Amino acid sequence: MDRRNFLKEIIAGAVATAALSSGQAEAAFTAQTNQRYLRPPGSLKEEEFESRCIRCGQCGEVCPNRCIEYFNLENGIDSLNTPYITPRAKACILCMKCGDICPTDAIKELDRTAEDILGYVQMGKARVNENLCLSYQGKTCGVCYRACPLADVAIKVQLLEQPIVLDACVGCGLCERSCIQIPQAIKIIPDHILNKAG
Amino acid sequence: MSEISKPFFIWRHLNKARWLVLLTVFLMLIILPFIHVYQTFVASFSYDLLEPSEKSLYNIMEMLTTPFTNDPANGLENVKGTTWSGNFFGYQISDPLAVAGQVFSGLTFYWPFILTALIPVVATLLFGRFFCGWICPATFLYELNTTLSLWMHRFGFKAGTRKFDRRMKYIVLAVGLVLSAISGSVLISVIYPPAIIGRELYFGIALGGFGAGLVFFVITLLFDLLVARRGFCRYLCPGGALYSLLGRYRLFRIKRIIENCNDCAKCNAVCEFGLDPLHDDFGQECNNCAACIAICPTDAMTFVTSISDLEFQGAGHLGKSYKRSQDSGE
Repeated sequence: MDRRNFLKEIIAGAVATAALSSGQAEAAFTAQTNQRYLRPPGSLKEEEFESRCIRCGQCGEVCPNRCIEYFNLENGIDSLNTPYITPRAKACILCMKCGDICPTDAIKELDRTAEDILGYVQMGKARVNENLCLSYQGKTCGVCYRACPLADVAIKVQLLEQPIVLDACVGCGLCERSCIQIPQAIKIIPDHILNKAG
Repeated sequence: MSEISKPFFIWRHLNKARWLVLLTVFLMLIILPFIHVYQTFVASFSYDLLEPSEKSLYNIMEMLTTPFTNDPANGLENVKGTTWSGNFFGYQISDPLAVAGQVFSGLTFYWPFILTALIPVVATLLFGRFFCGWICPATFLYELNTTLSLWMHRFGFKAGTRKFDRRMKYIVLAVGLVLSAISGSVLISVIYPPAIIGRELYFGIALGGFGAGLVFFVITLLFDLLVARRGFCRYLCPGGALYSLLGRYRLFRIKRIIENCNDCAKCNAVCEFGLDPLHDDFGQECNNCAACIAICPTDAMTFVTSISDLEFQGAGHLGKSYKRSQDSGE
């Protein structure tokens, strides 16, 4: 490689880096509020959670399912290093270990019982897109119902295994994780988006 | 000259013990994420599905942990977290700065969390800024960074030697806390190196990628290398500022024994924080690292229990200027 090409590549690289970082800087100050992420089970409401969480990372360190990830700058600087779950990638199995270890109780300490989970966990609510759902299109499926840890409480099925999400749904995301349709016919609407919508 | 008091012999070896502690803390921060990954493998019964490299990790961790537990998925929970906030055999221990940041960002007092900083706060009241010298995982890297700069010095590299006002870090602390309060988010954790190191090691090992914090930490390393030795800790670290304030009237501090001192100034040269032990000027910045005790050729440095430093005691009695003044006086 001669010197000119070398310099060109360096300049191109610098420009690319600058563009990337300006994009990141923009993302840092305009939070993408409709991003679909879940907070760990038992978390406080979004704003309170951000002020309570000290970013120690212990919730991820005890998660046996390794479903808890941490934000970089993509959701704004206020969310930097806070935990989140992407249900499609890996959903929460409601083991409640993260709440046990959380030092600030940004994630509440709950027992792994139906009462505690139904009473205090509000990660979001599942929503079925009937146009995509196989069962609603005449092909009996029912995978989401079988994946649900709170079957018949949070979700029920009617004829042809057509799922109906009930109010008790806590939004763990196991149904979205297991949905065999692409794009997923059942998706979790996170709690912070539900609250924004009112 | 028979009444010369020698310092307790252990003090001379404290600096080695300190390096051992720093190394242990740092290794723990590396091992804990690996333990976590191993636990998830165990919990999912996935040995047959692992990649060859993951299998070897599994085998190594199994060998290491078998003596301690029969149930790795649930039995290795005794030590979790980082120096920022960790779980130590059932006790939650948090950095006082984490508590301060959380109080400001939430604008409430959540006592169960505030009490987790009790042990560090009491220890800081007694030992001053000891966290900075003895535990902080960033200190481990910063001191190695200093060693690197000394080593590079032989090859003509000139490390930065600029001096700033030490009070700058109190401004950083105040601004960080105010920004945390305004944004309602513990932003101070973003500019505090030990918190960053703990997190980034976990991200890098268990989640397969470093985050933005690593960039910040590398910048502080370069700042130390090119602008001022240990500049970040001395001038900018918000945690260091908080510890300095808490350790203002610490009970355990280092004292110069004037009868033994020969004014060689090795203590000043070795002091990572650029303090002035030779002129009895330790102040609230001293982190009790004991490097000056270890290097002193005449056993003139020791630990004492006192809540204030001595005024400048004058030239050391073994030094030339003291002898000269004695001769002229007589």
